Amino acid sequence: MKLHRLFCAALLAALSSGPAVAAVAVGSAAPDFTLTDSNGKSETLAQYRGKTVVLEWSNPGCPFVQKHYRSGNIPRQQAAATRDGVVWLTINSGAAGKQGHLDGAGANAFVAQYKAAPSAYLIDGDGAVGKLYGARTTPHLYLIDGQGVLRYMGGIDSIASADEEDLAKATQYVPQALAELKSGKPVSVPTSQPYGCSVKYGS
Amino acid sequence: MKHPFPIAACVLTLAAPLAVLAAPRAATSPHVRAELVAETTALVPGQRNWIGLRLTHEPHWHTYWVNPGDSGLATKLAWHLPPGAEAGAVAWPAPQRFEVGGLFNFGYSGDVVLPIPLHLPADAKRGARINLSVDAKWLVCHQECVPGKATLKLSLPVGAQAAPNPRVRKLFATAHAAQPVASAWSGDARLVGDRVEVTLTGENLPDPDGVDAFVVQRQVVAYAPAQIRRLDDDRVMLTFAASEYLTAAPMALDLIVTDGIAPEVHARSVTVPFAAAAASHP
Repeated sequence: MKLHRLFCAALLAALSSGPAVAAVAVGSAAPDFTLTDSNGKSETLAQYRGKTVVLEWSNPGCPFVQKHYRSGNIPRQQAAATRDGVVWLTINSGAAGKQGHLDGAGANAFVAQYKAAPSAYLIDGDGAVGKLYGARTTPHLYLIDGQGVLRYMGGIDSIASADEEDLAKATQYVPQALAELKSGKPVSVPTSQPYGCSVKYGS
Repeated sequence: MKHPFPIAACVLTLAAPLAVLAAPRAATSPHVRAELVAETTALVPGQRNWIGLRLTHEPHWHTYWVNPGDSGLATKLAWHLPPGAEAGAVAWPAPQRFEVGGLFNFGYSGDVVLPIPLHLPADAKRGARINLSVDAKWLVCHQECVPGKATLKLSLPVGAQAAPNPRVRKLFATAHAAQPVASAWSGDARLVGDRVEVTLTGENLPDPDGVDAFVVQRQVVAYAPAQIRRLDDDRVMLTFAASEYLTAAPMALDLIVTDGIAPEVHARSVTVPFAAAAASHP
């Protein structure tokens, strides 16, 4: 019995220190963070209080990200959202040396290549913000309202696939949630299963 | 029309002896080779025949179980079969656990077969040939990921009896041995704070040492290993962190419990009612 208890204590300790990924919850305050963007400018979440903010985890080498950029899906969503006064922050939590990690110049080249329109491309090379938000996949999307409350987290759309041909049938959750927020409605799909590649955290 | 991205446009190479077929039986895409195989050299009407999607992975690469875990995609099959033939769902062998940077995935590596049961009507004509075709889609990952798809074909005669195909006999044997066996355990699952606790009762419960547990349903539990402890002689509790994406608890949880070290893995399955679901449903 004693051994069991010891074993359990060890396991609990392992569990509490083990998972690299923390959690945020829809309906709760989105934690603040500070990151440097692709142009060397410091950006915080708090500076955008009063505005709706989208966080989009990205990795240029991930085929799921490529699906949504090559097709124009994410760039279109970014352009429409920012036109509407929404702040769209693309975040790369890939560790240096891992697939998809970008420096500032690389991030700007990626944005230019796909005619993307994020408000800023943020470099999270140590993965701290990704882990703070529990970002697991690329893409992985979060939507924060003007009061700083998380209103959506999850996948980019309703069909988990790497096929562009599935886009036509898929519900795009961020534009849907943005439209609902704008018209004062509750967000009808506040969470969904994120899908894609693993975020390439350094270990 | 935009160009499909080049990674998906994986080059399909015809296996040389099958070059006469309109579509390949096997497809070589980056990091995994996919092939449609049969356990036997003929299909027998009126009984279950095992067909398999054989996936031969490059070292360190893997494809995914029905629940892929934190990321990834389950392998998907869409069949094109002659009238009367029916393919069942994939009989998923117990998966392996993969960890990359604190994220967890479930799937397969090495040379594996995903078995699929195939039924022919009892009056299928002996000697006729049955042409099977399947559209297979997979995601193969190491650190990076490459999606693949192929239409795979296989033609087999209808026979009164079937001899094992020696080429894939071992692979099918391994896949069958890794099938979760329905356990006689009972139990329940409940949401307790930010944890999902599963209590199992019965005989031959797993020894917590060396056990792993996999939940079939998504958006219920987080994918880090469960904490497993014995409560008393005939009860074991598995504690999972609840998924942040748990919004509607399922009525029941399907659980695969494995022990042993590959290839000597013993997998058992159990379905337990989810207590929170009963409370939250009108």
